Amino acid sequence: MKMSLQTRLLGTIIAAIVVFFLISVIAARITMQNDLGTLGAQEVTNGSHAFGGYWTSHQDQIKLLVAQDALSTEIRKDLVSGNLQALQDEVANDARKSGLSWLTIVDPKGKVIARATGTTPGSLAQNRFVALALTGKTVSVAASLPSTELAGEGLADQAASDVKGPDGSTVEHVTSGLSLIAAAPIADQNQRTIGAVYGGVLMNHVYDIVDEASAALGGQAALLEGDAIIASSIPSPGDGTRLVDRTVAPFATVAQNKPFDGTDTQGGTAYLVHIEPIVDDQNKVIGAQWYGVPKARIDDIINNTTRTLVLWGIVAALLALVFSIPIVRRLSKMLAERSIQVRRAAKELGVVMVGSEVSGDHVAMTKNVVEQSGAIIDELAKAGDPTGKVAQLKGLNDELSNDVIVIDTLSQEMSTRMQQAVDRVHELNDVAGALNALVTGEAN
Amino acid sequence: MADVILFFASNADTMIATKALKDAGVTAKMIPKPASVTTASNLCLSIDAGAETQATAAIAGSGVALGGVLK
Repeated sequence: MKMSLQTRLLGTIIAAIVVFFLISVIAARITMQNDLGTLGAQEVTNGSHAFGGYWTSHQDQIKLLVAQDALSTEIRKDLVSGNLQALQDEVANDARKSGLSWLTIVDPKGKVIARATGTTPGSLAQNRFVALALTGKTVSVAASLPSTELAGEGLADQAASDVKGPDGSTVEHVTSGLSLIAAAPIADQNQRTIGAVYGGVLMNHVYDIVDEASAALGGQAALLEGDAIIASSIPSPGDGTRLVDRTVAPFATVAQNKPFDGTDTQGGTAYLVHIEPIVDDQNKVIGAQWYGVPKARIDDIINNTTRTLVLWGIVAALLALVFSIPIVRRLSKMLAERSIQVRRAAKELGVVMVGSEVSGDHVAMTKNVVEQSGAIIDELAKAGDPTGKVAQLKGLNDELSNDVIVIDTLSQEMSTRMQQAVDRVHELNDVAGALNALVTGEAN
Repeated sequence: MADVILFFASNADTMIATKALKDAGVTAKMIPKPASVTTASNLCLSIDAGAETQATAAIAGSGVALGGVLK
């Protein structure tokens, strides 16, 4: 089926616009995916570093609090005087005010003198951090404390939890706890070590850091002990509670004490994440800081921009059609009119050609008659011309013959020229037919 | 005054020259080519000898080449 010029032109315009916008949208999406992906990764890395800053700041704060207690005059006096009840009250008060999970005073042999949690005294002589503090060093580390040590501080229940896998079933029972620890020596007036202060914060199910980081940085934060989430601001799917005591996919690079950058899905949401390993004083990886930004945030921008481009593309196409339809119609109409004019001219010229041919034939017949008339006059002249009229008639006939010859020649000349003109018009007629077919789409 | 005959290379040139002379006010009569003239045209123009100068100027102005003059 042949299409009209109008249909072809409008189709071409629409196709050109559609192709233009398709290419533009694809190019824009690719560019945005690259650029926003880079930007998102940068945001995640920066956020993760800031999250690490919160962690370090917390660690420094614990170290400072423990060191302040170690330098406390009241604690030293109570320790020297053996006023255990006063010492007990002192550390309990300090731990409560400073938000420490535990704060313990030991004597030079590592025997527990007072505990903020008030649990049964015992010995911390085997605790390497306390041992270091009793040698006069101040210690500030992250550590994964076993349940036996946590039980001594009355924190075993806070750490203990059933960790669930992605399908919701319990995959392990965790009893250890990720802690920020500080220990500092207590010295008398002669700078002899008379004991040590040992304190820290158990991070399991403590949400201060992750909430602060999440609120300030805009992403979601979590602390991992091994492969288990022990604290997080990540919302659970459905009820929106915190996603905690869940396993994450093991990240080989993190286990090798290297940060991980990539995507991770938690609570049904895909995140762009940066995971920074947490190591203990032996440089062993004991956990990780997980910081992520929902991938949908970037995808939303890309999709929104794509929708906007497509919407404006449709508007542009409609505007182009509104402007182009009248122009195309006018052009088509003009071509159709010119085509009709040429066809009419060809038809009329055909009539002229016929007239020229007929008149040429008539002139030829007249010429023949004049020649016959001349022959008769010649015969009359031979028979005699006493009055001179025959000679006069011959002169007139000769002149008439010359005129007829001229008219006949002119007629033939015009007929030839006319035939050439008709040939050109036939060609024009063919062009007009092709134009008409182009404009209307109809063969004729 | 006697007539002179102007002849041209073709019948088309002869016709154009006829129109040019008419426009210039020169009376010209189209006649069959005399046997003594050698040209592809079958027609010639007969004009008054006194108008020859004016006629040749008019023909030159029309862009037609004058084939010759027979006196």
